Amino acid sequence: MQALPAADAENPHARRATPMGWWLLAPMLIWLALFVVAPLLILVVYSFCSRDDLGRVVFDFTWTNYARVFDDTYLKILARSVGYAALTTLICVAAGFPAGWFIARRPPAVRNRLLLLVMIPFWTSFLIRTYAWIAILKSEGLLNATLLSARVIPQPLELLYTPVAVVIGLVYAYLPFMILPVYGSAEKLDNALVEAAHDLGAGPLRAFSEVIIPLTWPGIAAGVLLVFVPAIGMFAITDLMGGAKVAMIGNVIQNQVFKARNLPFAAALGVVFTLLFVASYLALQWRGRRARA
Amino acid sequence: MKMLRSLLPLALAAAFGVATAGAAPKGGKLNLFGWSEYVPQAVIDGFTAETGVKVNYETYASGEEMLAKLLAGGGSYDLIQPPDYIAEALIKGGLLTPVDQAKLPHFGNLMPEYLHMPHDPEQKFTVPFMVGTVGIVVNTEKVTTPVNSYAELFTEAHKNRIVVLDDGRELVTAALYTQGKDLNAMTAENIAGTRPVLAAWFKLIKLFDSDSPKTALLNGDVDLGLVWCGEAAILHNEDKKFRYVLPKEGAHLFVDLLAIPKDARNVENAHLFIDYLLRAEVSKLVSDEFPYTNPNAAARKLLTPEQLANPASYPVTDRKLDTFRHIGDSGAAIDELITDLKNAN
Amino acid sequence: MSDPEFMIDVRAVTKRFGDFTAVNDITLGVRAGEFITLLGPSGCGKTTLLRMLSGFETPDEGSIRIEGNDVTRLAPYRRNVNQVFQSYALFPHLSVRDNIAFGLRMQKVGDEETRRRVAEVVDLVALGGFEDRMPHQLSGGQRQRVALARAIVPKPAVLLLDEPLSALDAKLRRQMQVELKRLQKRLGMTFVFVTHDQEEALTMSDRVAVMNRGRVEQLGTATEIYHRPASGFVADFIGESNSLPAELLAREDAAVRVRLQGGLELRVPRAAWPADATRALVSVRPEKVCVSKRPIEGAENGFQAVIAEEIFQGALDHLVLRTDAGTVLSAVVANESAIMEALHEGDRVWCGLHFDDLVILPALA
Repeated sequence: MQALPAADAENPHARRATPMGWWLLAPMLIWLALFVVAPLLILVVYSFCSRDDLGRVVFDFTWTNYARVFDDTYLKILARSVGYAALTTLICVAAGFPAGWFIARRPPAVRNRLLLLVMIPFWTSFLIRTYAWIAILKSEGLLNATLLSARVIPQPLELLYTPVAVVIGLVYAYLPFMILPVYGSAEKLDNALVEAAHDLGAGPLRAFSEVIIPLTWPGIAAGVLLVFVPAIGMFAITDLMGGAKVAMIGNVIQNQVFKARNLPFAAALGVVFTLLFVASYLALQWRGRRARA
Repeated sequence: MKMLRSLLPLALAAAFGVATAGAAPKGGKLNLFGWSEYVPQAVIDGFTAETGVKVNYETYASGEEMLAKLLAGGGSYDLIQPPDYIAEALIKGGLLTPVDQAKLPHFGNLMPEYLHMPHDPEQKFTVPFMVGTVGIVVNTEKVTTPVNSYAELFTEAHKNRIVVLDDGRELVTAALYTQGKDLNAMTAENIAGTRPVLAAWFKLIKLFDSDSPKTALLNGDVDLGLVWCGEAAILHNEDKKFRYVLPKEGAHLFVDLLAIPKDARNVENAHLFIDYLLRAEVSKLVSDEFPYTNPNAAARKLLTPEQLANPASYPVTDRKLDTFRHIGDSGAAIDELITDLKNAN
Repeated sequence: MSDPEFMIDVRAVTKRFGDFTAVNDITLGVRAGEFITLLGPSGCGKTTLLRMLSGFETPDEGSIRIEGNDVTRLAPYRRNVNQVFQSYALFPHLSVRDNIAFGLRMQKVGDEETRRRVAEVVDLVALGGFEDRMPHQLSGGQRQRVALARAIVPKPAVLLLDEPLSALDAKLRRQMQVELKRLQKRLGMTFVFVTHDQEEALTMSDRVAVMNRGRVEQLGTATEIYHRPASGFVADFIGESNSLPAELLAREDAAVRVRLQGGLELRVPRAAWPADATRALVSVRPEKVCVSKRPIEGAENGFQAVIAEEIFQGALDHLVLRTDAGTVLSAVVANESAIMEALHEGDRVWCGLHFDDLVILPALA
């Protein structure tokens, strides 16, 4: 066979941005500047301020807020929040990946119906859905009544207002945010690739780890970010389903704003929280690059 | 009950529509910033029907939340409902507009014992709206031993059966009572001194809830609670098995007030609404829906004997009752203590 | 039960999808080292049959043996069979080298051997220098070679090819046909090739299975299939043919006289005519119709016609002939050359048909 012409490594569709392109981006850039960059700057400024008697922000410069963030109490809360969020993310991956994958492998008509089922809960207020969980989990609730009448358990399970209830609530709230991006990647994955892996001797596990995971990684990574980051900051579920006993970082920030009226400290917590988000994003990026390498 | 409630606006419109027929409505608007679940919709509708003033009702769940939004909010509120100790701070900070009693023909309906209180000694800036206490509610079907004090509430036998207000100051106050200390002596030392008491209590508490502690009691998830009297009164109305007790060590008496922020734009309408709320028939409607202690003598005369007999609304007591005072920076110390204790569990 | 002669032994296999029978009672034996092509229009069941060989579909009835082992229900990853996919199905996250090495890695072949075998096969398909490219950096023809290399490197007993050339342009395709055939001979591997392109099938295959509606209509060498089609479908599908319904007029000693649709009367060999039939299909390839301006000698059938249409096709000329009797036939003749006479639209010509070139098929139901 003869030598083959060199393939062009560059994306043939990539072009240099023109001034017109920047104009088209302008509305979004302005939006970002006003509603993302500016609030973040305010947050950073506040985090170095202190409060007066009534809780108004006093503009001086102090590190005390950050010192307090790294106080044992708050580090423990941060660690616990990360722990709960990580557990939630893990369960969401374990439950959401098969669901997203399954839906993506159905014929289009069935697929749309299943996606609708995933999204229907969003039609109702989040708080109402959380109250529905309270009705299910409470000691005289649906779950206990069912289990008791089926004689599965001799006594009502103490679920509500426990850490278990918090995790149930978190998983419930964020599962769709895992299913949808996983579905997005899985749907784009050509089934022939999975067949090719099997054909070349990869059993279900190898095909999964060698082909399916790397190729749906963008969806999984997006899902992990969409679940992990908001789960750290969630406060409504810990209040309503956890009985406000398990303090997470979101509860602390909410308390600092509305109860303790210490905006500077809340801002410092917010800054640290944002940095945590950036760190987890970078970690995922790094993991993704390594997987591709 | 629901039926009745939905009929109320109609009935009111009819009643007041007749009374004020011919008086041209002035119009305009009123930005009311009040507690969630404290002003019945029927009252607001009645006020609008009578005066033509449109009411925007924005709500908050704690006095501190109100304060935070008020201080941040750029002065778009015309009427607020601060609790006594927050009103005191607002008065000291010069953040309120004086209330002109000459514009309040029904001011005389108020009982003198709720006037000239420590938060507003000159009675210049506030008007009492509702009064209440924080006490113990007991499901007597489940709990047969007597519970008359904080000490009897927080015992090992009640472990995981207690709901308390998710409010640091209320909890520290209860602990101070058991130590025989003044509830407004919020020194760093006193606050720190409550730590062992609270630490023991927190191990027994099933959940913290300020918004609707009655829910867990009604659901049967807990059998005892340290709650607002209004919540206890609603429980008592629902089922007589719920009994309300003022702890014998002492209890917190709170007065929720009406006040006009300094930057209010519709001061006239705020006065109109305050006076409307002071009317006996209107005040009675508030009591019907939110059974706190009504400081309005004329309204109390309209209440049924049953309402007056509700021990949560109108406790017969010789217990020590105290009001909160503004404590300044001590709030931060309380918050830190509570966060730390919750964290330790 | 299995015939040791066969590398692949398909017995009475049926596969249904709902009400649709994709593969209907097919029995087929493929010898070791044979290049066999499953040829047919889309929906004929050729791809389904291939997928049952690779293990992606399981037969509803019947059995499949490969190398003497029953693989009817064996998972794809346990079969000593590899496939080249129509879309190539290269792993987009792996380099050319890692794509090719994938099968060896799954078999836990050692690093050293893997390197050696990958280098060998890279050489074989002339992909040297492209080992570190990612699939999206390759042209269609290069991807095709990677897919081929990836499938042959584990040395499977059977290589399955699912229309592997359909995405290539005509020139590259013809080149790859030759290379594939050469590669197959060199490896001595059994190839099962699926295509809907009859020219491709005839060029490359040792044997062709012409499929229609879930059945194998005819299995044979390219020449057998072309010259002795077993059914009207095969005659029509392979190349071009004049297939016309015919009616028996009279039996003679060595021949029967028949009338074709349109009215043309012919004599066909008596032995070829179905014994009791009064109707049959008479089929003749266009290039077997002799056309001349002079009467044709030696042909058992001779008649006159007018050239109704002439279609220039480069080296060949396609003619549409209207016989005096009224039957329309197509004919293909070599284009004008020194020894050939020029034929043009409207010319009156003599036509001849030899006994040997007439294929008699059962009448269509």
